[in-house]
Amino acid sequence: MKKIFIRANLLFFLLIFVGTLPAAAVTDVCIDCHGGLAGQLGEIPTAEWQTSIHARHRISCHHCHGGDPTDYVKAMTAERGFVGVPEHSEVPAFCGQCHVGVEEDYWESLHGQVIDFGGPNCVTCHESHAVQVATIDLINEISCSRCHSYEKPALIKEEISATEAMLSRLEASIASLYRVGIDTGHLEDELFATRNSFRRLFHSVDIDKIRAETAGFDADLEQTKATIDELENTLGKRKIAGGALVLLLLLGGCIALLIRRTYEGHE
Amino acid sequence: MNLAKEAIDWLDRRLGVRELLHKNLGGYLLPRNINIWYTLGAVLLTMFVLQFVTGTLLLVYYVPHTEKAFASVTMIMNEIPYGWLIRYLHVVGSNLIIVFLLAHMLSVLYMGSYKRPRELTWLSGFILFNLGLVFCLTGYLLPWSQLSFWATTVATDAAGAIPVVGDQIIAYLRGGPTVGEATLGRFFALHVMGLPLAFLVLVGFHLFCVRRVGISKPPFGDDYRPTEMPRSFHHDEHPDGVPFHPNYTIKDGAMVFFALALLVTITFFAPWLFIPPDALEPADPFFTPPNIKPEWYFLWAYQTLKIFPSELLGLASQGVAMGFLALLPFFDRGIERRPSNRPLFVTLYLLGILVFVGLSMWGHYS
Repeated sequence: MKKIFIRANLLFFLLIFVGTLPAAAVTDVCIDCHGGLAGQLGEIPTAEWQTSIHARHRISCHHCHGGDPTDYVKAMTAERGFVGVPEHSEVPAFCGQCHVGVEEDYWESLHGQVIDFGGPNCVTCHESHAVQVATIDLINEISCSRCHSYEKPALIKEEISATEAMLSRLEASIASLYRVGIDTGHLEDELFATRNSFRRLFHSVDIDKIRAETAGFDADLEQTKATIDELENTLGKRKIAGGALVLLLLLGGCIALLIRRTYEGHE
Repeated sequence: MNLAKEAIDWLDRRLGVRELLHKNLGGYLLPRNINIWYTLGAVLLTMFVLQFVTGTLLLVYYVPHTEKAFASVTMIMNEIPYGWLIRYLHVVGSNLIIVFLLAHMLSVLYMGSYKRPRELTWLSGFILFNLGLVFCLTGYLLPWSQLSFWATTVATDAAGAIPVVGDQIIAYLRGGPTVGEATLGRFFALHVMGLPLAFLVLVGFHLFCVRRVGISKPPFGDDYRPTEMPRSFHHDEHPDGVPFHPNYTIKDGAMVFFALALLVTITFFAPWLFIPPDALEPADPFFTPPNIKPEWYFLWAYQTLKIFPSELLGLASQGVAMGFLALLPFFDRGIERRPSNRPLFVTLYLLGILVFVGLSMWGHYS
């Protein structure tokens, strides 16, 4: 029993360190201790977190759970801001430390209003440690039917699907541009802002509001798409120029070899 | 009056340039059976010149400061006209140089051209190859990306395995306990000044050796016979050979065109081949990227360090292997150069290539 208590404390400590510390030390103390522990106190959340979008963006244990990931002794003390595992109804505020806008819309939604009666919080749909990039697939019959019928979610999904598809396409295009060295910072910021605002919208789960405001987001996305198209067009032109240059060089090489052959008769 | 002719006449009267040109071009005869592998020298020279030109252009906008280096490279890639082209040519070119250097060395090894009296040609070439690797290592840090920072941290850490002086060597390489501003400063100075000067001198010496001793005859064909080492200096003449210019320079030219075509193809269509995703993020000394790996030409060394029980043993084995290769002409003193008459050498040669490729792949996928 004592062992479990100690482990629970350790996990709590691990998960909560101070959010103001540099990402550097992010995983140090937390993972060092909890990575070696079994079950929900260690290996499960650690392994899950490592697959998450949070891990990719270097959002670590202490960013949510508080505490000090640089200090083994005081890692899980209140003085270092350790807050541990939140209650069911505290989860939205927990995630809302970063996802501020979504949290506001959530509280205004039916979901938020019934949280004290067992209504869904963020992790009900998004998972906790294994949280992935949110996609439209999170809205599905199996998930929603845990609490209510799928009729309304299906309508919302239909309403937002075109915009979500556009968001996904633009994200992929930006990733491709980034991979070839294009500075996509401003595009990412633009898309990030639009996506967040759009996702705030459907966290309201208000079908009329979603219908009324989706067109505005589509217009914003069209503007981003125009910039991306322009960049892709430039890349396309570069490839045409590159292809022409390669052909010229190959032609030059072939001509040189042909000239070389004319010498063979005199050698 | 032709201005060029007048200029040459003027120089000829003073320096005898016509005789010099004839002696080194049209009158310089190469073995009749000289093959395509001999063009790699010209290809490498062209690539070096291109590196020098693109590197100089990059210097105009690059800022060797930890706070500004990454931003300056981003600016070169996105705001400077054709900056992306110049940088990609430089990056891809550096990788292709290693490919061509390896091919050049392997062809020289296979044809036994390293053998006496060409020990100095081989040794200077081998040092040039190693300088090429140091060029890449120092250039790698300059963009100050995640990859730059962590690959340099790992590479300099390896020196710590050397007993007694390991820590001092690390401190000397880095200019401090960790990779930082001082490291960037000294790597930058080495990359743009120290190494090019050393390289220029060595290339000059290498070419001097090639010209002075004479081109080795490829050890193939019925009329090839091994020759004894002369007792005094002897220039290897090929009286029945083909003129260097234009007969062979045109072949050099063709291969240079093809090499440039390869460079341009990768530059325009697949520059990411030599630019891993971690190279796109600015250095963050507080976050170690998972699975950081060195460049492909260091993977064999990286894996060697991993498979030995201690880093010191790994380093020692690398030192022995490289030392053996550098001094090979001093060990391998037989006159036979025909691969068909050197079964042991050819077996070891192939095994060596397999070990290099195997270790590199192991390092990549481990």
